[in-house]
Amino acid sequence: MSTTPDTPAHEAGDQTGDQAGPPRTEDGLIILARTAPEPSRANDTLVIGTAIGAAVFGVAFAVALVVGLPIGWYGSFLALAFFSLGLSIRRYFFDRFPEVEAAELRSARTVEPDRPVSAVAPLARRPLLTRVLLGSAGVFGASLLALVPSLGPKVGETLRSTPWAAGVRLKTTDGEDIRPEDVARGGIVTAWPDGFIGFERAAALVIRLTGQPEPPTVADWVVGPSLVAYSKICTHAGCPVALYRERDDSLYCPCHQSTFDVKRGCEPIFGPAARALPQLPLGVDEDGFLVALGDFEGLVGPSFG
Amino acid sequence: MTPLFSALLDALDDRMKLRSPTRAVANKVFPSNWSFLIGEVATISFVVLVATGIFLTLFYRASIEPVTYTGSNEFFAGVQLPAAFESIIRLGDDIPGGLFVRRVHRAASHLFIASIVLHMLRIILTGAFRKPRELNYHVGIGLLTLALAEGFLGYSLPYDSLAGTGIRVAYSITLSIPYVGENVAFWVFGGEFPSTAIIPRFHALHVFVLPLLISGLIALHVLILVRQKHTQLPKPDVDGHSYIVGKPLWPGQFAESSTLVLWVGGILALTATFIPWSDVTLLGPYVPGEVGNNAQPDWFLFWTDGLLRAVPPIEFTVLGATINTVFIAGALIPGIMFGLLFAYPFIERRFYGLEGEWHVLTNPLDIPLRAAMVMGTFSFVLIASANATNDILSRMTGITIEDLVFIFRAAMLLAPPLLAAGIYVYSARRLKREGARVATNELEAQSRFDPPQITTS
Repeated sequence: MSTTPDTPAHEAGDQTGDQAGPPRTEDGLIILARTAPEPSRANDTLVIGTAIGAAVFGVAFAVALVVGLPIGWYGSFLALAFFSLGLSIRRYFFDRFPEVEAAELRSARTVEPDRPVSAVAPLARRPLLTRVLLGSAGVFGASLLALVPSLGPKVGETLRSTPWAAGVRLKTTDGEDIRPEDVARGGIVTAWPDGFIGFERAAALVIRLTGQPEPPTVADWVVGPSLVAYSKICTHAGCPVALYRERDDSLYCPCHQSTFDVKRGCEPIFGPAARALPQLPLGVDEDGFLVALGDFEGLVGPSFG
Repeated sequence: MTPLFSALLDALDDRMKLRSPTRAVANKVFPSNWSFLIGEVATISFVVLVATGIFLTLFYRASIEPVTYTGSNEFFAGVQLPAAFESIIRLGDDIPGGLFVRRVHRAASHLFIASIVLHMLRIILTGAFRKPRELNYHVGIGLLTLALAEGFLGYSLPYDSLAGTGIRVAYSITLSIPYVGENVAFWVFGGEFPSTAIIPRFHALHVFVLPLLISGLIALHVLILVRQKHTQLPKPDVDGHSYIVGKPLWPGQFAESSTLVLWVGGILALTATFIPWSDVTLLGPYVPGEVGNNAQPDWFLFWTDGLLRAVPPIEFTVLGATINTVFIAGALIPGIMFGLLFAYPFIERRFYGLEGEWHVLTNPLDIPLRAAMVMGTFSFVLIASANATNDILSRMTGITIEDLVFIFRAAMLLAPPLLAAGIYVYSARRLKREGARVATNELEAQSRFDPPQITTS
C-alpha cells in the first residue's frame, strides 16, 4: 500500500521569522503534512471481515449468555467483538481519510487587562456594606455546619467502657457458657459478655497458658494456675488479635504484626502496638462458669483523644 | 453521508447554530504520542465503571442485617450472611452475567486508578504542571484522591472479611485524629464500629456522591485542558511554545480515541473472563472479632498499610491530645505526601526562579530538583507498599517478620533520600557536562533543545 505525501513536513511558526511564508491552512487548521492512502482491496476486505466478525462475536456473546454457557465462552466472545470492531474502525478511518499532521496556534490574550469585564460599572459607595454582607453570608454558611453532629450518636464516655462488669458470664460465639476445664492447655477461646455476642470492642480471648503467668499479669485475675483473659482488640489499629503462638505464648495480629507476650500481661514485644492488651478480671461463679469480676482496666482498642 | 442524516443535521444547525462551534472542536489539534492517551484510558475506565456500576447497584443490598442464604452456592446454603455479602454471592451465582459484570467493574477500577497514577507520573516527570496549568494539576490531584476513596469504598461494600477489617482500620485512623477523632469517627461511620449505618452510607457515597464529584471534576479537567490547550513534546523544528502539532480531533484523534475505547473494553472483558477479580466467596463474610491471614487492602492503598506496619510504637500526650502511631502512619505521613504533591509546582518555580508560561515538555533529568522529588517520593511509596506484603514475604523467604520489618524500616528511611540525592547529583552533572543550566524561561529551554534554529537566524 503506497502513500503519497503531498507536502514535505516543515516547521510551524519558525522562530527565525516569517520568511518561510505562512503555513497552508484548511478551515483554520494549519496542515503540516498530509498522506493519502491508495484504495486497497486488501484493506476493504479487512474492514468488512472484522466488522462482520464484530457482529458475529456480539451475537455469539448474547447467545452464549442467554443459553447459560460458562463465563469463559461469553466473556471471550465479548472481548473478541470489542477487538474486532476496534480493528475495523481503525482500518476504516485509514481508508476514508488522509492522515494529517496539523498545527494549532496557542491563542494569545484577547482582552486588554485594564478593560473591565462588565460594561456596567458599580456606583461609588461606602465599602462597609460589601464587607458586612460578605461577613454575614460567611457566618450564615458556617452555621449550617450545625447539622454535622446529627450524623452520628453522641460519643460521651461510650468508648471508655465495655459491657463487661462484675458477675457477667463469658459466652462463646455460639452462646455457650464456658467452664475453666473447657479450655485445654495451650487452648484459646473467643469470649463475649453475656447478651453482647458480636459486640466487637468487648471481644476477649480466654487462654490456657503453657507455663506460669508472670508480672505484670494481675495474679488475682488468673483462674487456676494459668487461665487468663485479655481483650482481643489490638491496641494499634483495632484488628482482632486472632493468632496464638503456643511456643512462646504470644498473640499475633495478622493486620500489622503487633505481637503480645501473653505470659507477661500481654505487653507488646514487637510491631507497632504501643500498649498492652487490657487484662479481663476473670473469676469463676458458684456454678463453676467463667465470669468477669469487672470491666477491663485501661482503654480497649486503639487510643484516641 | 446519507440524505436523511444530513437533513437532520441541517435542521439542528438551523435552530442551534452548531456549525461554527463544531468546526472549532473538530479542528482542535491533539499531540500524537501514546503517553497522552493514558488520561483517556482513565476516562474510558470511569465510563465502564459507571455503566457496570449501575447494573451492580440494582442487585446490591446495602445492609449488614443477617439473612439466610437460599441461592445456588452450595458452600453457603442455609447459612446466615450479612445482606450485602449475600446479595453479592447471589449476583455472582444466580444472575446470568452477574459475576462477569462484577469482575469487569473490579478490573476497570484497577485500571482507573492505575491509569490515573501513570498519567500523573507523566505530568510530573515532563513538567506539564507548570504555569499556566497548576490549577488543572490540582484538579487532577482531587481526582486521584476521589478515585482512591472510591476504590476503598468499593472494596468495603461486599462486606467480606477483608472489607470489614479494612473499614476497622479506617475507623481507627479516623479515631486517632487529635482532639476530635472520636466525634469525627462517629459522624463518618454513624456510630461505633461496626455500626449498621456504615454499609448504607458507604453505598450512598460510592454510587452517588463520589461518582457525581468525579464526573464534575473530569468535566472541569477537560474544560480547562481545552481552554489552555495541550502541552507539546519537544520536536525538532517545532515551536511548541506557540503551536501544538499533532492530529486534528476529526478524523485523526477520533479514530485513535474511538478504537482506544474498544481496546480497553476488549482487555477488560478478557481479564474479567479469565481472572477471578475479588473472589469474595473464598473470603467469607465479615464476622466481628474474626480476621484472616493476609489482611491487606487493595494495591493502591498498600503504601498506607505498609506505613501502619512500619512506623514503630509511638504514643504520647501533648497539650491534652493523644498522638499515636496510627495517626502518624495513617494520616500524618500520607497528608505530608499529598501536601508535597500539591505544592510541588510552586516549589519548583520558586527554587529555579522560573518565569513565564511553559508549554513544551522537558526531560526530568534536565530539572534535577524534579528528578530528585519524583525519585524520593515514588521510591518511598514503593518501599512502603512492599512492606504491606511483609507477612507473605516472610513466609515465602523464611526471613523472620522481625528482621523483615527492620529491613523495611531502614530502607524507607535511607533509600528515598539516597536515591533522590543520587539522581540530583547525576542530573546536575549531566547538565554541567552539556554546559547548560536549568532554563528559567521557555525560550531558553527551547534554544538548548534546538540550537541550530537560533544560531542560523
